[in-house]
Amino acid sequence: MQGFALYPFDPPGDIAALRADLRAWLAVNQPQGDVVARANCWASFDPDFSRALGAAGYIGMTLPAQYGGGDQHPLERYVVIEELLAAGAPVGAHWIADRQTGPLILRYGSEEQRQRYLPGIAAGELYACIGLSEPGAGSDLAAVRTTARETAEGWRINGQKIWTTGAHFSHIMLALVRTEEGSERNAGLSQLLIDLDTPGITIRPIIDMAGHHDFNEVFFDDVLVPHGALVGERGQGWKQVTAELGLERSGPERYLSSHALLVALIDAAGAEPDPAIAALIGELTAEMWTLRQLSMSTAAKLAAGEDPMVEASVVKELGNAFEQDMPRRVQAIVTGGWDDEDDLAKLLRALLIASPSFSLRGGTREVIRGIIARGLGLR
Amino acid sequence: MSAAHDMLCDTARAVFAEAATAGIAPVEEAGFGLLLVPEEDGGFGGDWGDANAVLQIAGVVVPDLPVAELIAGEAYQPAATVSLMAGAMGQALVLSIEHVNTRQQFGRPLGKFQAVQQSLAVMACEVRAVEAAAAALATRLDAMSLDPSAADFEIAAAKLRANRAVGVVTAIAHQVHGAIGFTEEYDLHRVTVPLMRWRGAHGNDAYWAARLGRQVATLGGRGLWEAMTARGA
Ligand SMILES: Cc1cc2nc3c(=O)[nH]c(=O)nc-3n(C[C@H](O)[C@H](O)[C@H](O)COP(=O)(O)OP(=O)(O)OC[C@H]3O[C@@H](n4cnc5c(N)ncnc54)[C@H](O)[C@@H]3O)c2cc1C
Repeated sequence: MQGFALYPFDPPGDIAALRADLRAWLAVNQPQGDVVARANCWASFDPDFSRALGAAGYIGMTLPAQYGGGDQHPLERYVVIEELLAAGAPVGAHWIADRQTGPLILRYGSEEQRQRYLPGIAAGELYACIGLSEPGAGSDLAAVRTTARETAEGWRINGQKIWTTGAHFSHIMLALVRTEEGSERNAGLSQLLIDLDTPGITIRPIIDMAGHHDFNEVFFDDVLVPHGALVGERGQGWKQVTAELGLERSGPERYLSSHALLVALIDAAGAEPDPAIAALIGELTAEMWTLRQLSMSTAAKLAAGEDPMVEASVVKELGNAFEQDMPRRVQAIVTGGWDDEDDLAKLLRALLIASPSFSLRGGTREVIRGIIARGLGLR
Repeated sequence: MSAAHDMLCDTARAVFAEAATAGIAPVEEAGFGLLLVPEEDGGFGGDWGDANAVLQIAGVVVPDLPVAELIAGEAYQPAATVSLMAGAMGQALVLSIEHVNTRQQFGRPLGKFQAVQQSLAVMACEVRAVEAAAAALATRLDAMSLDPSAADFEIAAAKLRANRAVGVVTAIAHQVHGAIGFTEEYDLHRVTVPLMRWRGAHGNDAYWAARLGRQVATLGGRGLWEAMTARGA
């Protein structure tokens, strides 16, 4: 990890125009209702917005045109998603499909899978969820026990996934399952793309501490899916999932989840802020600016076809700490009651409650630090 | 960065090594004062990317010599200090990794203990952040033809971020070293003491936080994002 240089973030095309067009589009199309929906907005689910965004060409941007995509550069997509997140747009419905399921299907999927799923993803109409965690397999993902046995008719799936964000509104799940009988740990795993309306699947809500229904338990009781549900190579699930996690860890969503609060803090402070608030704004700005540089250079490295596993983990570690600390630091200096109804108070409350999850989802802080330590040559 | 960048870094390493015992004279004689002077004026024609690299080496090898002052004027000193700090932090990390991989306790190298691994991961993140800040600041200065007033936002953000990393980096580096790192003989203090000094030099945390905070307040919440994206990428 020595000799770190910033990988140049150099997207093709007219980036200023891309930003301006998107901002103009958002000015018309972003729902203006609840300010709280702008907090942690990649968990805000709004299918109407997703469809409109897809129709405007802002989803599936990097997918080939033949599958309904935009044939654009990954860094053009990066610009679009950082703009959406900074604006607090409700991108939760299509987020996972656009970020990882679509690219994964393109990379490992069969032609049939590509034709079947990618156009819907790019249209902002087909949503996906990630079936990794199980009751016995959290940080220790290699302990996955859900099985899929190959039979003459197809794959028979039995087992359970948990914490599955968006399973209740998703059309498909990309699941990590054990396909090889008697296999252990990270051997013998495969990825299956499962249509969630298949008989035998039960989805039960888990209400989170904010009172929201975002994640779920998903049960598989002798679920039969076609042979063609296998994604990529049989037995290579671990390798594929690891690649998928790289896509997941370094994006701007890893430091912008609390951005709406920073915006509200600055607006509430006014042009002549109280010195303590000015200092906090300065500190948060310095941190955000630095994180943006790290995230952009990691994205550039990813776009160049390299594997920035460690850099991506650095972005997630620092970004999660930033977005998690922000509400605490704001609460420590602004005056106001817990139940106040101004924008700042509402966002503060929502983010204080949401923020414990920031360093859990997508790999816990301790797991991420372990990956960094391995990059340092300590493990 | 200039085409001769790698050669420049090699020269800096060699000259600074000599200067570590001989003082600033060899650095002056080698012409580092001309680093940023345009070629047509008889200088090296380097950019801030070059200065950043040279100063990172200076921050490790000759932290007590006025190399930054030799290379650039007063208005550049906060930016130059960020580069010195990035270099010194990188070295503190290198020393820490070497140490925990070598020193054995309980029958194992310290680096095999998870608590030590997690601490060093935290430290590495801070170091990467400061290196990224130094590099991004260089990109901005070079895009603005080295006009420091056009990089005021980046200078403030980078120096503040570097200052804030000092506490974490020095604390963890010393903690994982144990008593040996507290000796005069061992090299760790050669980077950690300068880091403590640089945090307060050319603007401490409070100075830059107030300044950046007031600047951002005039932009407004949405204006911050618009200004930041307009300034780079
Ligand atoms: C909001 C949210 C959304 C999520 N969405 C999804 C989803 O869509 N799909 C999905 O598959 N999963 C999802 N998850 C699950 C998430 O991936 C897991 O929560 C995470 O991997 C941790 O697993 P766990 O909760 O079982 O905690 P555990 O693994 O039990 O860990 C508990 C604590 O112990 C620590 N710990 C565990 N092992 C070690 C070790 N070896 N060394 C040191 N410390 C250790 C952890 O870091 C953590 O702090 C979501 C989680 C959240 C909070």
